[in-house]
Amino acid sequence: MAEPAVRFEGISKRFPGALALSDVSLAIEAGSCHALCGENGAGKSTLGKILAGIHAPDAGRLFLRGREVRFAGPRDALAAGVGMVHQELAFCGNISVAENLCLGALPARAGWVAWREVERRAIAMLEEIGADLDVRRPLGELTIAQQQLVQIAAAVGGGARIIVFDEPTSSLSQVEAERLYELIRRLKRRGVTCIYVSHRMPEIFGLCDTVSVLRDGRHVATRPTAGLSEAELVGLMIGRPLAEYFPRHLEAAAGEEVLRVEHLSCPGKFEDVSFSLRAGEVVGLAGLVGAGRSEVARALFGLERGVRGRILVDGRPVRIASPRHAIRLGIGLVPEDRKRQGLVLTESGLHNTSLPILRRLARLAWIRRARERRLAAEYFQRLRVRAPGLDAPIASLSGGNQQKIVLARWLAARSRILILDEPTRGVDVGAKAEIHALVDQLAAQGTAVLLISSELPEIIALSGRILVLRAGRLVGEVPRALATQDRLLALMAGVDAAVVAAEAGVGSAGDRDVPGDRRRTGNRAGDG
Amino acid sequence: MRTLARRLLGSQEAGLVLVVAVVTVTLTLLAGSHVDRRTGELINNFWNSNTLIQTATDASFFAIMAIGATVVIIAGGIDLSVGSIYALAGVAMALLVRAAGPMDPVTTVLLGLGISAGVGLLCGLLNGALVVGLGVHPFIVTLGTMWMLRGIAFVVSRAESILVPQPLTAVAKAPLGLGGGLYPVPMLVMLAVTMVGVLYLTRTVMGRHVFAFGGSLEASRFAGLPLNRIQIGVFVVSGLTAGLAAFLGASFYGSASSGDAQGYELYVIAAAVVGGASLSGGKGSALGATLGALLIVLIRQSIRTLHLDQNYEWIVIGCAIIVAVVVDQWSTRAAARRFSRTAALSKSAA
Repeated sequence: MAEPAVRFEGISKRFPGALALSDVSLAIEAGSCHALCGENGAGKSTLGKILAGIHAPDAGRLFLRGREVRFAGPRDALAAGVGMVHQELAFCGNISVAENLCLGALPARAGWVAWREVERRAIAMLEEIGADLDVRRPLGELTIAQQQLVQIAAAVGGGARIIVFDEPTSSLSQVEAERLYELIRRLKRRGVTCIYVSHRMPEIFGLCDTVSVLRDGRHVATRPTAGLSEAELVGLMIGRPLAEYFPRHLEAAAGEEVLRVEHLSCPGKFEDVSFSLRAGEVVGLAGLVGAGRSEVARALFGLERGVRGRILVDGRPVRIASPRHAIRLGIGLVPEDRKRQGLVLTESGLHNTSLPILRRLARLAWIRRARERRLAAEYFQRLRVRAPGLDAPIASLSGGNQQKIVLARWLAARSRILILDEPTRGVDVGAKAEIHALVDQLAAQGTAVLLISSELPEIIALSGRILVLRAGRLVGEVPRALATQDRLLALMAGVDAAVVAAEAGVGSAGDRDVPGDRRRTGNRAGDG
Repeated sequence: MRTLARRLLGSQEAGLVLVVAVVTVTLTLLAGSHVDRRTGELINNFWNSNTLIQTATDASFFAIMAIGATVVIIAGGIDLSVGSIYALAGVAMALLVRAAGPMDPVTTVLLGLGISAGVGLLCGLLNGALVVGLGVHPFIVTLGTMWMLRGIAFVVSRAESILVPQPLTAVAKAPLGLGGGLYPVPMLVMLAVTMVGVLYLTRTVMGRHVFAFGGSLEASRFAGLPLNRIQIGVFVVSGLTAGLAAFLGASFYGSASSGDAQGYELYVIAAAVVGGASLSGGKGSALGATLGALLIVLIRQSIRTLHLDQNYEWIVIGCAIIVAVVVDQWSTRAAARRFSRTAALSKSAA
């Protein structure tokens, strides 16, 4: 057998807060597409980043085609033929595509940048991968899919024979993702070794020849994807079999109407949205990204200006002017961007839990700390937050535990109406199941839940009925019994399900500029 | 007792306490001694009540302001106007108390305190209102008010130094039974304000809101915190401490002029930063601010005590600030590593 393109030998890496990789050894065959998968925090991205020279391993050795290499940085890695494509913006957003592509080796004449040459080279690099972009635009103005094309062009143009893709589709629409898959297949045909970091089943099975599973920083298994089932793979990832369940809250009839929204509009964001929410009910809110889902949530939480229409809480009309007001009315919001909107990352888990209810915990202005700790400890336990203690810095916890703390906050605040905006984004499989069970349990105990999610299976599994938004308007309400992915997708996109599927298959990557429409399908590739 | 010791050693300020202690000991060892002419005793040139209280007094005026500045910095802002607030509050106090004519000493003192604290509070309110109302960065707003307020002080005082009535000086220089030309009042006020600052920041709702506000404005918004009130509140606190420092300073020195506390804003910010406050917000402590002020004054004092060339004072202070902040970053990182080890341990135990 030929020398493997990449061989890791006994790689270990420690970060403040966690042992990311522990004695990982595995080999990647030249010219193959090799998936690295595992839950969040399993170390798959870290392994990819070590290969791309972004992290240096604490121990262990790395071989490329049998020769040991040591990278001091991504530049060394690229010189050795390893490039990387990140989830999000990895270059300078404020300068042009052309400059980004030539960064590090700007062609110059007598110290002056030769702009025409820069553009010529950039266009050539993009053509190489079949992409056509305006190279003069600032990179930050492009969609994430286009920015990834630029990263791929930079890697290929830089002579990369091995490319690491780090969860590249996490911010892409279905159509954009399909184009990326096509491009990856083309690269593979040209003999490029692709290392694909992901935890999405369809991607792993549709794209990759081999899959290596990491769990808690250890290498668990490497298997060919042919002959492996999804259930087996998930079992390997989480280390136990996955159980399906039927939401318990559906066993009881919904209670009183606690929230009613009538003809709610917010100029430029959503138009004429009406629905109601009963105690003990989970209502899904589906739609493409940009359809106005989060905006409706923000409006209900007093974060949007210029909202028209009526909102009734417990039958009483209210004008929700601020989050403070919303919280007083018993509304809690788990925002979509946990790190930016959900948590104060400089503070502890304890302080993040009690933040909205400090006044209630205080006598005059004086915080009763024993009470605060008791309350937080109670919810940490109830939500099974895994943390070294109440005072552990929130930044040191995993995504799932961070999200549990955001939820704990609203449970502690005794919110009766919970709006969950992408509650399981960036949360590992185990914690995800726990959060699902918690949402179900809360509803069974009488909380009204509005669930926004881009993962249709999640919405379908948890909701009693599903509202669908398209371009800021409510276009349908689907009862649980009739909710299928195809049906929801058709409503979300406003076309036949068949057409959606067909279109997703059409555009091969980069034949044309990705349309200016930045809306992405909520159904993120691979969560199905 | 052991847990108390451990808490002190593990706390954020432990490194700073150590540095202050090391500087103090070094200074004592190097200072040499002289024979007191009156008593014939051998007295250390640094470790004697006179020099120590003098050093603490020097620190007290801007340590008090540094606690206010720390509150602003924790909230992610900055207050450049504290020196000017000090000048305006001092001048206003001296002018108004004199204009009010002779009164009994207690009324004089209360009036003086009320005026200087009130002026400080109003100036802080102005800063806060401008930051919130105009949506302009605190740096710009307080850069503007820094000149405006000093200008007002200049105009109302007609650029003259105004004498402060005697009862005020009597309070600020009260010997409190020490005698021998020792004036412990500013030092005691500094300690009291430090304590209030520590409690305010760690034990009150407002204090915790300040940390959250500076740590993440967006997350604070989503948690329903009263953002404008917090923003204005931190500037009011800063103004108030400047007013209090002005009361103490003007009373202690017996006069107030529009040129007082010129450049103090930089000493104050330096003390806060040396004390561990992060200019990116969300981090800092009142005790740290006081220790930072003490450290800066100690360094200044060491130049005098060791008979070094006074011309090098600024250079030494500048270096000390950078060194202190770098050391603080190291110890923070070391603490994070310690934490990660215990986290890993507890994880493997689970």
